[in-house]
Amino acid sequence: MNIPLNIDWQQILLHLFNFAILAGGLYLLLYKPVRQFMEKREAHYREMEEAAAQRKAEAEQLKADYEAKLQQAEVEIRERQEEARKAIQASTQQQLEEARQQAEEILTSARAAAERSREKAIEASKQELQDLAISVAEKLVLSSDGDTFDQFLDLAERKGGNEQS
Amino acid sequence: MKQHKKALVLWLLLLVVLLIGALIAPSPQLPEESIQETMRDAVLHETGQIDLFGLDVVNPGLISAFTVTAMLLAAAAVIRIFVIPRFRYQPGRLQMLLEELVGMFDRMAKSSSPEMNRFLGAYIFAAGAYIFVGTLFELFGLQAVTTAGRSITLPAPLSDINGAIALGCLSYLIILSGGIANNGLRGVGRTLKEFSLPISMSFRLFGALLSGLLVTELVYYYIQLSFVLPVIVGVLFTLLHALIQSYVLTMLTALFYGEVSEHTPPKEKAKKRKGKPAETPQQAS
Repeated sequence: MNIPLNIDWQQILLHLFNFAILAGGLYLLLYKPVRQFMEKREAHYREMEEAAAQRKAEAEQLKADYEAKLQQAEVEIRERQEEARKAIQASTQQQLEEARQQAEEILTSARAAAERSREKAIEASKQELQDLAISVAEKLVLSSDGDTFDQFLDLAERKGGNEQS
Repeated sequence: MKQHKKALVLWLLLLVVLLIGALIAPSPQLPEESIQETMRDAVLHETGQIDLFGLDVVNPGLISAFTVTAMLLAAAAVIRIFVIPRFRYQPGRLQMLLEELVGMFDRMAKSSSPEMNRFLGAYIFAAGAYIFVGTLFELFGLQAVTTAGRSITLPAPLSDINGAIALGCLSYLIILSGGIANNGLRGVGRTLKEFSLPISMSFRLFGALLSGLLVTELVYYYIQLSFVLPVIVGVLFTLLHALIQSYVLTMLTALFYGEVSEHTPPKEKAKKRKGKPAETPQQAS
């Protein structure tokens, strides 16, 4: 049977056979190796990109950590400063209080001592005056010859001269 | 300067003498073939057939096909042995050219059929290379002797209708295989819907390349048209044909392959969904 346009099944099959060889050969010799190389390079650059992204993420994490630590350290420093300030204030207050107490105690004891010595002096003066009065009275009584008033004055003068010497 | 002028004048004279000699010289005493016969033979190959190693008589297109295959495989082997092992991550010119060629067909396959494209990429790469080099092959002007003892220039392999039918039908079979591999019987159905595809692909190739061949035959038949004009009709048209036909066949194959191999959910699920209340966009998200 003659097919129009001189179509020949045998030659069609031969063309197919020829193209199958060509397709297989080109796939093995050219397409596959070039594509593999391109995939390999793509994987290489993807790995590089991933590694860079990972490093960047790590660096950012590190930076965030450091910033957080820095902030924490600043807060701690501020707290410590506050604590120290409070402690110094408390200590100063306490020392002032103690000093005031000590001063009051000293003042109180000094006042008491002064009071005691005053009382003692007054007591001694009283006693002395008493003794003097008694002795004068005794002498007056014993030597009632002469003017009493003159005797008293003489006696006082002598007493004063004795005390001066 | 004078010497230059003399040389120029001599060269022009030589050209004129050669041209006149070519026009008036007697042609060999072979029986002359009319333009009608030449054109008819270019289409049908009734007389201009070639003996295939004593096995059979075939069209010259088949010999061209074998030659193109041998040339392409030899070039591929040379590239595989000497060029590809020296590929670097920062490519040179040749490496860029090869990568662009492979990458172009690879991208075409991936964009058409995102799920399954390795086989398609390899096929359209081979088909593109075959059509492109096969079309440019007629420019090489390789000669062969017909069984009638006449010398002919080997034509483009796809200007032979058998070659065009082979490639068109093979492309259809590749599309069919993609449909079966991804969608089973539904894929077969989808492919068979495009029953005109093998015919349209085959005859598009055949018509495009044969038209180029016929124009070239026509131009070369008359010696008066054989000056300057072949540069345009021979080289430019052939280059355009080579580019356009390789692009058209590979793109059509990739498009139809992607269409029939596109995975769609079975209809049963769609029916079940109809029974359920419609999912709002908020629920879906």
